[in-house]
Amino acid sequence: MGDKSALVGTSFPPYSFTVERGKIREFAQAIGDIKDVYLDPQKAAQAGFADVTAPPTFGTVVDMWGGPGFGELCKDIKANPVKVLHGEQEYEYMGDIVVGDTLTVNTTVTDYVEKKNMHLITLQKVYVNQRNEEVLKCRMLVVELK
Amino acid sequence: MVDFEKINVGDEIPALTREPVHEIQLVKYAGASGDFNPLHFMDSVGKSAGQGGVIAHGMLIMGFIGQAVTDWIPNRSLKRLGVRFVNVTRPGDTITVTGRVTEKKVFDGKGLITCEVAARDQNGQVKAAGSFDAWV
Repeated sequence: MGDKSALVGTSFPPYSFTVERGKIREFAQAIGDIKDVYLDPQKAAQAGFADVTAPPTFGTVVDMWGGPGFGELCKDIKANPVKVLHGEQEYEYMGDIVVGDTLTVNTTVTDYVEKKNMHLITLQKVYVNQRNEEVLKCRMLVVELK
Repeated sequence: MVDFEKINVGDEIPALTREPVHEIQLVKYAGASGDFNPLHFMDSVGKSAGQGGVIAHGMLIMGFIGQAVTDWIPNRSLKRLGVRFVNVTRPGDTITVTGRVTEKKVFDGKGLITCEVAARDQNGQVKAAGSFDAWV
């Protein structure tokens, strides 16, 4: 698919996800990263949070449960799903994410590079809470092998 | 508590070694994260993809890295965390996360450190590597 450079600047429909207590616990347990600030509201309050917060990679839960599935994402970026690899992931933390927050995510294609054997597609996601505060940014490098 | 005055470039963050990755963990992670790519829980799909069987979600390995980082610094101190996925992880692999301080400066009037971080298996093969910034 040779016209991927036209993807740069494209935005996809926003999606929203409400952060639930049980989902944080389930995610922390799946990783095996059990911390008081993910489970205990009082301990979270002592650490300065309004309620329990989520592990640093929780943004992926917001994307996978709130956003388009992998197949749809591949369609959006005109990629063959069986050739797609996750190259890089970077989060920038700008504000607290706690139970009860509703995050709305805007996704934009910010870069495209064609290499001999692969396409490199960079997506940026900005997570805004119900108070319109940007609390999280994500940069994701998707690799599609040729 | 990490103290800006006492921390120095070259200091290592405490290493975290996890129990071996298990197929059940991959199923749990699929459900928790919502990433139901069958490559992570169906051996037949892993085989047809040329991987010999299932492979772990890269984001699970990043989760281990996030765990090691927030074992060391408070969650609220974490400013940025980024990794490259270098090699695949298979059930049975034992992942150890290590890191060290590479930069220390004052930014916006606050102490900021940058650390490199890596997740390796029992043979020392790097699975994911990157860096993080933290307020201290």
